[in-house]
Amino acid sequence: MTKVNSRFTSLFVTIFVIIFMYLPIVMLVTMSFNASRYGGKWTGFSLKWYETLFRDHSVINATMNTLFVALMATIFSTIIGTLAAWVLNAYKNSNVQRLHYGLIYAPLVVPDVLMGISLLLMFVSLKVDLGLTTVILAHITFCVSYVAFTVLARLQDFDFALIQAAQDLGAGSFRIFIKIILPLLLPGIIAGAMMAFTLSMDDFVVTFFVGGPGSTTLPVKVYSMMKHGPPAIINALSVVFMAVTFTVAIIGNVLLRKKSSPSRAVAQH
Amino acid sequence: MKNTLQKTLAGAIAALAMLITGCGPSQPVLNVYSWSDYIDEGLVSDFEKQNNCKVIIDTFDSNEFMYSKLKAGAKGYDVIVPTSYMAKLMFEQKLIEPLDLSKIPNAQKIDKLYLKNLAFDKTMKYSVPYMLGYTCIAYNKGKLGKIDNSWNVFSREDLKGRMTLLDDMRETIGAGLFFTGNKINCVDPAALQKAKEQILKWKKNLAKFDNEVYKIGITSGEFLVVQGYSGDILQAISEAKDLDMMIPREGVSISCDDLVIPVTAQHKDLAYKFINFVCDPKNAARNMAFTCYFSPIPEAKKYAKGFDVDMLFPKSLYTTGQLIQDMGEKNKLFIDTWDEIKLDQK
Repeated sequence: MTKVNSRFTSLFVTIFVIIFMYLPIVMLVTMSFNASRYGGKWTGFSLKWYETLFRDHSVINATMNTLFVALMATIFSTIIGTLAAWVLNAYKNSNVQRLHYGLIYAPLVVPDVLMGISLLLMFVSLKVDLGLTTVILAHITFCVSYVAFTVLARLQDFDFALIQAAQDLGAGSFRIFIKIILPLLLPGIIAGAMMAFTLSMDDFVVTFFVGGPGSTTLPVKVYSMMKHGPPAIINALSVVFMAVTFTVAIIGNVLLRKKSSPSRAVAQH
Repeated sequence: MKNTLQKTLAGAIAALAMLITGCGPSQPVLNVYSWSDYIDEGLVSDFEKQNNCKVIIDTFDSNEFMYSKLKAGAKGYDVIVPTSYMAKLMFEQKLIEPLDLSKIPNAQKIDKLYLKNLAFDKTMKYSVPYMLGYTCIAYNKGKLGKIDNSWNVFSREDLKGRMTLLDDMRETIGAGLFFTGNKINCVDPAALQKAKEQILKWKKNLAKFDNEVYKIGITSGEFLVVQGYSGDILQAISEAKDLDMMIPREGVSISCDDLVIPVTAQHKDLAYKFINFVCDPKNAARNMAFTCYFSPIPEAKKYAKGFDVDMLFPKSLYTTGQLIQDMGEKNKLFIDTWDEIKLDQK
């Protein structure tokens, strides 16, 4: 009896979660094919919002800007963040590193508006022309903290005896880095990089302040579209984005499975 | 591993370097800072062809954000499109420069009546009006029949929970001020108190204060009466046949977005050409068709095809409409009143 009951409960919970998580997405996809501008009523199936989207240069431009900024910010913040985490972990007891820790921690707690305006003031006083470059620099600034903290968490479980063992066996420091440190830290680094990418993709406030001519990113564009533009274009754009994300996720999953299947086969025998 | 890392790094640095140096300034670039979807893209490419230049349009979503950014020293923009009250403040703060009207021949075509009756900048000293809009009421004619053009519609208890007012401090308090017989820029505490009491009476019948969802709600039939911005409401009406709109006789607020040139502009000649270009009556007509907002250029009416210009902005508003003005330190009175309205639980 209890078994049936628990199965029923878990089924119920699963269905509820699926509805809760995916119903909004289903609505979004449906509405993107709605001919109505505001989507209050179903006025017929139409691809016109997709057509408008692909003809709208400003939206495409903003998308390209967003992806470019996110990619650059991810690459640089991952490198800097990982190095910072390594140093923070290696010299825990030095006062300089305590200060460093504080500096890395600050962007996590400083409000976006404050960060945006202070970066803007800095760029203006240094006479740097505002544009994509300043947006990338600003994004690197806050992404570094997230990467550093993710990698730092990974480092806390790091077994340093492995490094000593490798040294005993005669490995050079470069080899140790490539063969031991990097593979062990990789999950943390990748998680940090993904976080950096996501954060950079949907940052609005900081981007708004430090952006200059020609650097409008998608979030900035979408906020402004809420005022004048047809909201239906945003639905279409989200669907395109989602399709891309899902495809990447599925491909990634398939690749991972292929890689791990031989070892799993061995384990099963 | 090292090689791929190096390649990625090199690629990244090369890309960054390309960005910093730009792709060679073969064409002059005009940087416009405006609201999203506020100009017909076809017009932009026409202007690019005529002047052999490139136009880059960046967007902002609030006057206040745009102002704080500029005030902090951001530059690079050649033409900005702030709302009138903000243009006035920007001029007072010396962020935008006085215009040389001889470079904008089409400025002569701007409606004299608008400038005389409504505009803050009556001589176009620092701004040229671009688009006018107003706040009005949309309602479901299919269900309610024709209704009296008054703000008093929000007192109807039979429509409880099916009406919305804007979630906009000045617009919503403005509705209360109009209904109690005052002007929109009134800062008399007693008048504001009366307006507040009126809005609180209305609030009992409202579904909510809302700025975005009302457009969806009114077309779907969830809401029956909504206060909204004319551009949105006209677009909603053109889609749903049962809807109609009315302009309350007690008065409505209007707002105007202006074209201005910041003092830091680097392509001033091109900026003047651009302002002149959008003030050309033919182009103004195309813009009106695209945005559903009204250009104060009477001659544009001749070129408007397929839509009624007088619907976009009825003539009567030149006398009954009022522009919202920035009240400086007195803004606090509005903020306090608004807080009391929003927090009231009765």
